Amino acid sequence: MAKIIVVTSGKGGVGKTTSAAAIATGLALRGNKTVVIDFDVGLRNLDLIMGCERRVVYDLVNVIQGEAGLNQALIRDKRVDNLHILPASQTRDKDALTSEGVERVLENLGKDFDYILCDSPAGIERGAQLAMYYADEAIVVTNPEVSSVRDSDRILGLLASKTRRAERGEDPVKEHLLITRYNAARVDHGDMLNLDDIREILAIDLIGLIPESEAVLRASNQGVPVTHDDNSDAGQAYMDTVSRLLGEEVPLRFHEFQKKSLLSRMFGGGRR
Amino acid sequence: MSLKVDRAEMAFTFKGGMLPMTVMELASADPERIREQLSGKLSQSPAFFQHTPVVLSVEKLDEPHLALERICAVCRTHKLLPVAVRGGADPVKQSAWALGLGWFPPTDATRARTLEEVPPADAPAPEVDKQPGVASGGRIYRGTVRSGQQVSAPEGDLVVIGAVNAGAEVLAAGSIHVYGALRGRALAGIHGDTGAGIFCRELRAELLSVAGTYKRLEDIDPHLLGSSVQVVLRDAQLGITSLD
Repeated sequence: MAKIIVVTSGKGGVGKTTSAAAIATGLALRGNKTVVIDFDVGLRNLDLIMGCERRVVYDLVNVIQGEAGLNQALIRDKRVDNLHILPASQTRDKDALTSEGVERVLENLGKDFDYILCDSPAGIERGAQLAMYYADEAIVVTNPEVSSVRDSDRILGLLASKTRRAERGEDPVKEHLLITRYNAARVDHGDMLNLDDIREILAIDLIGLIPESEAVLRASNQGVPVTHDDNSDAGQAYMDTVSRLLGEEVPLRFHEFQKKSLLSRMFGGGRR
Repeated sequence: MSLKVDRAEMAFTFKGGMLPMTVMELASADPERIREQLSGKLSQSPAFFQHTPVVLSVEKLDEPHLALERICAVCRTHKLLPVAVRGGADPVKQSAWALGLGWFPPTDATRARTLEEVPPADAPAPEVDKQPGVASGGRIYRGTVRSGQQVSAPEGDLVVIGAVNAGAEVLAAGSIHVYGALRGRALAGIHGDTGAGIFCRELRAELLSVAGTYKRLEDIDPHLLGSSVQVVLRDAQLGITSLD
């Protein structure tokens, strides 16, 4: 049975879809059969970030409403064999998602895949609640900023009460903290919350820290998940995150501010 | 004269004791009005009415003769156990004795405080115990109380082993103890217990309230933020003092 992981945050624009795409790609690159589902019905971003927007024919809502089969709607990633995408519908709204429908889709996907990633919409409404309801694990994406931390805190409360595992009294959803857009220099200046503050408030395990990077924006616009850019700090940080998700111990990187030496400043060395 | 008697041979010993006691301050001598109000309270917090001993205080009444027997009957039907009467003129004292109740002289008015609902949780009230291991309807919550969550102890003290985050709310009829950072809202003494308090390891609260008297974050002395504090009512004002 596949492991269902929801990528969620409460707040919008923190990097949920980027992270879902990057982690799904990483899991597939490591040899796991992975599918990533866009739950953001009505907005539809995941296919853009995965670079498959021109190949979308059927979507999640079509499958739920029985208008298409699962295999018709699944898009195979053109770069990684093990990776599939189930896109969201642009023309419907989130009311088109039913709890039974989502359960059926996840159940069928579970027969073929090792990992199912659910890319949650922002907010705490129906779409977000359905994306998390059947999850085994949750990756809570948080920016080093007070409003993002508070929204993540809210989502953690929902994960502990509004999921199938919570309602059945099973083992709780395993919660992981993923901090994105971390700018060590600005943290050092006190413009951003630091790592320890965020961890103290949210009180869950840190699965990864993604530095703010030009590589992420570039990757989004090109439709190539940043994980493929293994020269970039963000790409490496996502790969570290995937390793930790697979149970490996990987030391934390990119969280400390390193003042550039005069030489590296002159010759433009250091990280991209 | 020797009083050296072996303990085992004594049938009893007299000891002075200070027992917490609920005083029912009567503002009306009309048994019907008392009955009406009690019925309302009974539905609001049934746990309080478990043969709780009460002292009927008639200090505020100006009537020399009271329908004491009927008032007691009303109390008993609502599972309150009158054990004594406080104050009142000589006829009141006589009728209290006649009913088998004790009589206390009127007290110094300045020392009396209004106890609306539940006695403080340290009161020995085993009959209110509903959750095993927690006395007098109190509650122990383990874990972080997160934004948007509300945790309450409607009948006693609330103990949180963890933090109360911003946007979360904790409420208790009695006191609130937070073994962690208190960043959200904490309301103690929600039924009017002015003796309740709020205690926390790290003060960052958005709002602190004891029996309806409150302070917002911006009213709190910035020097106290981040420290371990107690919050109690003093002269109808919230006093926040460091515990360190």
